[in-house]
Amino acid sequence: MSTTHLMARLSLAPIVPLWLLIILLAAGLAIAFMQYRVIRKRLGRRKALILSLLRLGTFSLIILFALNISLTSKKEHRTPPAIAILLDTSQSMGLPAKDGNESRLDEARQILLGGPLGGPKPLLTSLAETYDVRLYALSESLRELEEKELPALKPGGKGGTINDALKKLAGQVSLAIVLSDGTTRLNSSSPGLTDTSLPKDLPVLTIPVGDADTYRDIVISAVKAPQVAFRGRELTIDATITSRGYKNVTIPVLLKDGSKLVTAKSVHFNMSSESVVVSFSFVPDENGTHMMSVSSPPQVGESITSNNSISLPMRVVRDKTRVLLVSGNPSPNYRFMRMALKNDPSVDLLSFVILRTPSNVINVPLQEQSLIPFPVDTLFSTELKAFDLVIFDNLPFHVYLNQKHLEAIREFVRSGGAFALIGGPNMADGGRIASAPLGEVLPVGLSQEEDYSRGSPSGVRLTSAGAVHPLTRLLPDKMLNLRLWNEMPSLDGLNLLKVKGSGTALLESAVSPAHPVLTVGSYGKGRVLTLATDFSWKWDAGMVARGEDNWAYLRFIERTVRWLTKDPGLDPITMVLPDRSEEGQDAEIKVRIGEDVNGPYGPSGLPGSARTREPILFSVFSPQGVKLPSQVKASGAPGEYTGSFHPERAGMYRVRVETRTGSLEESLIIGGRMEAFDAAPDHELLRSISAATGGKVLSASENVLKEIAPFVASAKKGFVEEREVPLWSLPYALALVVAFLAIEWYLRRRWGLA
Amino acid sequence: MISRRTFLRVGLALSAGLFLERRDLAVAGAFPQFYITQVRYRGGQWDPNPQFTDAIVEELELRTSVSASKERRTITLTEPDLFSCPFLYMAGKYEFDPWTSQEREALKRYLTFGGFLLAEDAMGIRGFGFDAAFRREMKQVFPTHEMQKLPPDHSVFQSFYLVNTIGGRQKINAYLEGVVIDNWTPVIYSQNDLSGAWSRDRFGKWLNECAPGGEAQRLAAFKLGVNIIVYSLTSDYKKDLVHHPFIKRRQNL
Repeated sequence: MSTTHLMARLSLAPIVPLWLLIILLAAGLAIAFMQYRVIRKRLGRRKALILSLLRLGTFSLIILFALNISLTSKKEHRTPPAIAILLDTSQSMGLPAKDGNESRLDEARQILLGGPLGGPKPLLTSLAETYDVRLYALSESLRELEEKELPALKPGGKGGTINDALKKLAGQVSLAIVLSDGTTRLNSSSPGLTDTSLPKDLPVLTIPVGDADTYRDIVISAVKAPQVAFRGRELTIDATITSRGYKNVTIPVLLKDGSKLVTAKSVHFNMSSESVVVSFSFVPDENGTHMMSVSSPPQVGESITSNNSISLPMRVVRDKTRVLLVSGNPSPNYRFMRMALKNDPSVDLLSFVILRTPSNVINVPLQEQSLIPFPVDTLFSTELKAFDLVIFDNLPFHVYLNQKHLEAIREFVRSGGAFALIGGPNMADGGRIASAPLGEVLPVGLSQEEDYSRGSPSGVRLTSAGAVHPLTRLLPDKMLNLRLWNEMPSLDGLNLLKVKGSGTALLESAVSPAHPVLTVGSYGKGRVLTLATDFSWKWDAGMVARGEDNWAYLRFIERTVRWLTKDPGLDPITMVLPDRSEEGQDAEIKVRIGEDVNGPYGPSGLPGSARTREPILFSVFSPQGVKLPSQVKASGAPGEYTGSFHPERAGMYRVRVETRTGSLEESLIIGGRMEAFDAAPDHELLRSISAATGGKVLSASENVLKEIAPFVASAKKGFVEEREVPLWSLPYALALVVAFLAIEWYLRRRWGLA
Repeated sequence: MISRRTFLRVGLALSAGLFLERRDLAVAGAFPQFYITQVRYRGGQWDPNPQFTDAIVEELELRTSVSASKERRTITLTEPDLFSCPFLYMAGKYEFDPWTSQEREALKRYLTFGGFLLAEDAMGIRGFGFDAAFRREMKQVFPTHEMQKLPPDHSVFQSFYLVNTIGGRQKINAYLEGVVIDNWTPVIYSQNDLSGAWSRDRFGKWLNECAPGGEAQRLAAFKLGVNIIVYSLTSDYKKDLVHHPFIKRRQNL
């Protein structure tokens, strides 16, 4: 840095108005003259003049102080131009480079450190002698580097947004030198190079690394697919396949559901760099979350094979909730339930009523019977997965279903289906239910041998869990809802059950001893419910008898179906999965527990600060079913939590949240790090950036120092240092006043004046 | 050895039991799942066939899985327990007094919200007596839903048996009538006196002859009775698509 002194100057800043100072100065002159006239007769003209001038001098100095005179001095300092060197360290820089370099990063490192390039010294050293060099690593973000870090620098992470990085440096440096393979991205808000996407006042010199001519790769660049598909309806998945370096080849592209091949197509590339869109159409036939993938087999000489596939989650649902209702006999309970289910346009009901038992005697030939065989094998083997909810209504199941069917129902629930058991004398099937596979699924067990009681009408009441559970929340107001259930018509028959550990009673009988009436639970991924009465239809008819509507019963049935089939709108637990998660990066899942659970009068029943938070259990299972370490913490707002885990590998992970009022399980697809990763050197992008900023593309063989000079010649910058010294505050000024007064005092004494 | 005194005592007791009037239970708190409740009304004759329930309920339990009670209950339209009745039955021979607005409103609410009524004209003369009074009241209860003939493919003819003959004590109409609201027929009306065909005494003897068809006509009345009860408990279940091909195939046999 060089310094030049510039001319100094005085400046005035009077502390009182100038006219006052002139008046004061005139008054001082007048007083000095008066003094001269008085003492001239005693001391003579010369001595009187000296004393008067000394007095006038003192007075004038004080007046000058009031003028607040300052001396301003200026110095100009000149600095060397600052240049930024951006070294791309994204993962593509780890791929092999040309000229025998192990990686593209090594190639860039060689340019900066590895010896003479346009001069006798390494480029970085030469630059540092002339310029203020600032070194940056450009990966997912811009990071300033020390020179000593360069040798140990490793490639990793995604390419940063180069235009954002350059915008950050604009105004701080005069020139940017970018060493990159060109796979860096542009900011997503600027899809292409536009007038505003790059800074205007920062010329960019680019030095491309990597060899675009020898790079070969097949990339599944993008897959466009709906996140939610309807079972039984054709859907289309579009995949973009890009070829780098393969010309006149045909490759197969496969669409898979997990490991199962769905369909395959062939793609032909005419040019060495070409993208082709392939459309796959198929009909999903199974509900649930599927891990779909589009892939192509590795080709000879491919630089990267891990970008040959993309996985994506697809949730297959029904456009209608399909309910299978099997009733043990015709009854008012069946009639009212059927009417309620038929009343719901979102429900597709298939019902079977056992009209005749083996002990009934039929007295007419076949052509006079309307009875159809109960297709038990079809329903409970091949077709079971086609339903979302299976309801057994007072069904003596052992008469019609064998062990295999019951096991199929258990597996149906375990894999996400819903099952409801409606009460009546046959509900427990003479106690067989406890030992059947269904007993494992149900949230209740038998409380005693006599499992059904009829003839002692009983009302119902909400349990503490029922008061906040969405299924029993027929009215938004908690107190009104409580009253509604308390005043529901009595039930004339009850199954005497007890709640199992996995179950939660929402309604219990109002008479003592209380028995659970409505109990919910979960088994595997599915939900289960028992309604321990065959008289719930009286909640319809009984309300009508009171002159009211039957809305409460209809809403109860509707909410039962919605809750069992995990309607997100009714679920007390909501999970927000990240849009995309990659292996090796923490995956964060937002969990929200319905506000009712943690509301002012939560499950504890304690208001205000005394209430406790709903404890939640957050579990994550790897694709192999192994439970993984995970964390969950409250994220501030009531009922909101953030769960996280660290997936090491790509695949479908299960995330499960359990609370006292229910549980929810979702599947999360963790993508591979290299998915859709196109690492082909894009030197054209670097050329465009240089052109757009008024810079230039340099090759490693050019004299970089010489090429830089014109860009920074006009960019030499400096600054002027300005210092202002107020003269009145200098000690010399005070000493001068004191000296004037002291001399005057001395002379007066000497010359005999008092 | 039984004494003469004991023999006479037992014999008298048995005879008394046979001739004692059967007591109809009032609707009380504890109901079985299915039972027949008969409407009592003013004027006319509300109970032309007092002994009809045993035979039809026995037939119902013998042929179907319906769990039923033989107890016949009676009720007036203004009693709140009306709404707990799974199956309402109403019969008569003669014209009855017009219902009050409360009675009409109660019956309308009961039928609109899922209730079921089987009504029977035991006299069987169109436009006269019970028939005229019942049609008058139905017009008041459902002014926008006229009684209509039920088509042969109505669910009530397919709910258990495939019925194509309307039985009864008499053969006035070859069809049933009803009030149809959407897919549900809450009122079914017959002039063939089905309950007359079902009635029998305590010895199991039919109380009425079925004319002109005789016992075949009685059998048809029972089959139709079973179908009506099963329909009242299953609604239009047999209209579900899964039943269609089976029923079509059997009708073509």
